[in-house]
Amino acid sequence: MELLNKYKKSYTNNDIQFVFVNDSRVILESDQAFLKLTIGDFIYNTHPFFECLHALENTPEEETTFNCVHLNIHDKEYTTDIKIIKKIDGILLVLHNLTQHYLTYQSIAQSRNESIINGELIILKNSELEERERFKNSFIQNFSHELRNPLTNIISITNIIANTELTGEQKNMINFLRESNANLKLMLEDILSISMIASGKLQLRNKEFNIYELFNLLRFTYGAKAKEKGLEFTLTSDIKIPEYVEGDYLRIYQILTNLLDNAFKYTQDGSINFNIELNQKRANKVSLRFKISDTGIGIPQEKLATVFNSFTQLKTAEQQNGNGLGLAIVKGLLQQMESDIKVHSKLNRGSTFYFDIVLKYPLHPTIKPDIKEKKYKHKEEGKFKVLLVEDDIHLQTTLFKILINTEVFFVDLINDGAKVIEELVNNSYDIILMDINLPNLSGDKITHAIREFPFKNIKKIPIIGLTANAYEDDIKAYLKAGMNAVVPKPFDHDVLLKTMFKYLK
Amino acid sequence: MQTSKKIVILGHFGVGKTSLIRRFVEDSFSDNYKVSIGVHITKKVVEIAAGDSMSLILWDLEGTDDLETIRNSYLLGTHGVIFVFDVTRPSTFQNINTDLKIVTEKLPNIPLLVIGNKTDLVVIKELEELLNKNQISTDFLTSAKTGDAVNDVFLKLVNQLNGAT
Repeated sequence: MELLNKYKKSYTNNDIQFVFVNDSRVILESDQAFLKLTIGDFIYNTHPFFECLHALENTPEEETTFNCVHLNIHDKEYTTDIKIIKKIDGILLVLHNLTQHYLTYQSIAQSRNESIINGELIILKNSELEERERFKNSFIQNFSHELRNPLTNIISITNIIANTELTGEQKNMINFLRESNANLKLMLEDILSISMIASGKLQLRNKEFNIYELFNLLRFTYGAKAKEKGLEFTLTSDIKIPEYVEGDYLRIYQILTNLLDNAFKYTQDGSINFNIELNQKRANKVSLRFKISDTGIGIPQEKLATVFNSFTQLKTAEQQNGNGLGLAIVKGLLQQMESDIKVHSKLNRGSTFYFDIVLKYPLHPTIKPDIKEKKYKHKEEGKFKVLLVEDDIHLQTTLFKILINTEVFFVDLINDGAKVIEELVNNSYDIILMDINLPNLSGDKITHAIREFPFKNIKKIPIIGLTANAYEDDIKAYLKAGMNAVVPKPFDHDVLLKTMFKYLK
Repeated sequence: MQTSKKIVILGHFGVGKTSLIRRFVEDSFSDNYKVSIGVHITKKVVEIAAGDSMSLILWDLEGTDDLETIRNSYLLGTHGVIFVFDVTRPSTFQNINTDLKIVTEKLPNIPLLVIGNKTDLVVIKELEELLNKNQISTDFLTSAKTGDAVNDVFLKLVNQLNGAT
């Protein structure tokens, strides 16, 4: 055992130190294993840790252990476990130098804590960004809502003026005004679309439609535009694409027109080619590839990654128009359709945008031929009686003029929601045009009350909602309240009248 | 005359306990976060009156989100407590009332100060609204980085301890 004790001593001796202090805390003995202490000195002077000896006097425990105590002595740091043992003639201190062991532990704790803190900060940052995004979307929604009423007035009054006798110069000015109105309306709709996509409020409305009619419409529209701009435009499609497919016609139309408008915007000469390929047809589903190529200015490589972000535009001296939302809307809409858009581009050579979408295709189409409404049909025994429930004085005037100009309506006006039922009891109406945000009682609540009314002649009156709350959820709620249709503001004359005639007998 | 008082600094990890002590003792600050394990003990003598001083033995305990696990030996002979949370991390103060209950059970009848640290990273008005909303009352809002209100914390504690002697 002598040999073993010798080696054992060489491994343990330097890490465990025994120190004995008397009741006055004076160091009497120390084996100086790793700390060089001055015999006869107060242990308190060695390190403030030892001041705790004072507190231990009053504890019943004979032995107390302190783990992981950092002692900085003679400019060197030791991490130690310290055992304090009360003896009859003083206090025995056993100091175990575990610096290396605790260094490993410290490094593990460092990684763990940093990772937890970083995780927390990322979550906080995300929730802050989400909050900002929510605020932005809600601001855009409220702002666009507020813009709808004045825009409706501008569009409607422009149309009314356009139908009066005008000089050539006035006609030109009205045409310019109409074009500006249309651009403004489009921009407003773009902003709304992007905020709806961002807030997750946009819902697709899949319906059966004839895709070749869509191709023909685009061929006609953009063919004319190309002619005007001196460009060549081709639209080619695979003949195996089924005629009827099921999808959100309006959103697909929005995607394609945004891409085509973009191509026309950045192409000054050459051609724009729109090609629709059939990827595959399987189990009532058809996968189509839409590809739009142009010979325009192209996109610099460094901008390819951000070209689909909101408010991104390729600025050139000639091209400063637009709101930079077109491609962001396209990307957002395609993501809703579980698709993604890709782009290849060469600077000054042109760009190709392409994406695939999967649409259902019905084997037995159910679409019936569209029977066109006769414009301004007349009631047999005279004119239709309309109750206009609207509190905005400008809209009242505009709607009044639109309806009176058709010469088929008598119009009564109410601007207080609470008075509608009384009016309906005292007079008979063929149709009601109902604003939503009315004083005293909202349009949807009045509608609900009308549909609950005991008299059939009142209960069954067609009600067309007029609203600036153009979100899917809002419109659904108004229809659920009993409205026959909802026309979002700003509206077009023809759309409003067409909707009204649909419900007039 | 000099008296000696043991102060323990408690709170979750990463809230800035070590930085507060460093600011108070050395008047310095480092942006590098080094996790404290076990306990670091520092001393600072504060003059409380002509000829009288107080030796503060500051026990900087390893941060933990479960105060029940603090070793009892670390708390022996404690005269005062500073509980620190990080105003930028809700996880360090969302259960503060439970945490403080544990502290007062382990260390009854001694002065306790509650500190919200890292105020240099937030807007004070928004922070105060957040704390009010969560019914959290603090003794001081500090920044170890700028030094804002750090000395006030220790001076208040010294005054409380001095009054208690």
